[in-house]
Amino acid sequence: MSNAIEIERLGYRAGRAFEIKDLDLHVPRGAIYGFLGPNGCGKTTTIRLLLGLLRPLAGRITVLGDAVPRDAARILARVGFVPEQPHLDPILTVRETLAFHAAFYPTWDWPWAERLRGQFQLQDGQPFGRLSKGQKGKLMMLLALAQRPELLVLDEPTDGLDPVVRRDVLSALLEYVAQRQATVFISSHLVHELERFCDWIGVMDQGRLIVELPMERFKNGIKRLRIDGTPATPDNLPFVLLAREPANGTGETWLVREWEPQMAAFFDAYGVSLHQVIDLDLEEGFVELLRTFRGPRA
Amino acid sequence: MFEHLNPRSPIPLYEQIANRVRLAVATGELRPATALPSVRQLATELRVNPATVVQAYRDLESEGFVEMRQGAGTFVREIAPQTRARERTRQAAALVREMLAQAGRLGVSRQELQAALAEEIGVGTP
Repeated sequence: MSNAIEIERLGYRAGRAFEIKDLDLHVPRGAIYGFLGPNGCGKTTTIRLLLGLLRPLAGRITVLGDAVPRDAARILARVGFVPEQPHLDPILTVRETLAFHAAFYPTWDWPWAERLRGQFQLQDGQPFGRLSKGQKGKLMMLLALAQRPELLVLDEPTDGLDPVVRRDVLSALLEYVAQRQATVFISSHLVHELERFCDWIGVMDQGRLIVELPMERFKNGIKRLRIDGTPATPDNLPFVLLAREPANGTGETWLVREWEPQMAAFFDAYGVSLHQVIDLDLEEGFVELLRTFRGPRA
Repeated sequence: MFEHLNPRSPIPLYEQIANRVRLAVATGELRPATALPSVRQLATELRVNPATVVQAYRDLESEGFVEMRQGAGTFVREIAPQTRARERTRQAAALVREMLAQAGRLGVSRQELQAALAEEIGVGTP
């Protein structure tokens, strides 16, 4: 299975403070890929680079089999993009905005655009500038979906929207994915939201991709282990030890990555008693991963 | 029917969906020949990945709980009474295992648990 997005050793620099360095990223076709990372880590810049809106200093980007930025025009015709900030003309009405967008995309689907407009309760005559934040969010998603793209690139599409609007927007997205088998690349701070539907997770921090894994492997691989005593760290660990911290009394808590259930046997051989293996949800796993990436305590 | 899905649980969502259907079939809540929602409907309604629903339905089909008919949809199959009974036993065992695991985490002993169970069920109390 080929990849919808492939980024190899990407380099980019803006000013002295910000740099993307040796970024590798792979989004399999048909995946719903959740792109996570703290504010300012380079997510939006990466998105702009992969759409050809910025020029990389180094590396190779391929989207839907075509090279960026060389084939950017051909790629953009097949990609639905929801930017972090809507950049539509505030004086155009909803109807005019739809007509404007439709003109750029031969694949535009008017009947579906109309159905979504009704479902989202957007009024034809309303100027974009007068729409509420929620209505703007719905219109942005409508524009990206009605062009029937092969790939959707969504930069915080539900940021600042209320739960009802978020639900409507995501339901429309998933309905489209179910009928079209499109690929979705979505960045969000609402980690619990991504946990429902993403099957791949990439985590970025400080201009690098620090993890890229199928969702289940990422989630089930990060554990807190409660162990007795404070043994020396063995050098043949079958998992990745992210941190060791003293726990109440005589034991320790180990934070590990790439854990698998049969690894409990490792502790027997090593003569340390493993009390408990604690599951983390996606958000906890994400927070712990960043904390240990930034300041390793192992 | 699927209101108790928990995306934060370590149990994958496809397994939670499949399990909910197994239970509904075993208890008779879903009768034979009933149509399950389409992949598109369920993914949209639950806001889950369509692939998650497909995987749940495939697992249910390979276990004989449902039948997927090309173009028509997914339907509950006629299940032998022994199979239903076995499924109920399996579900009961899973509930108890979950309870024991939680009791272990909270430091509640087996005796205390047994006493509480007897009390709640209403056996062994005057």
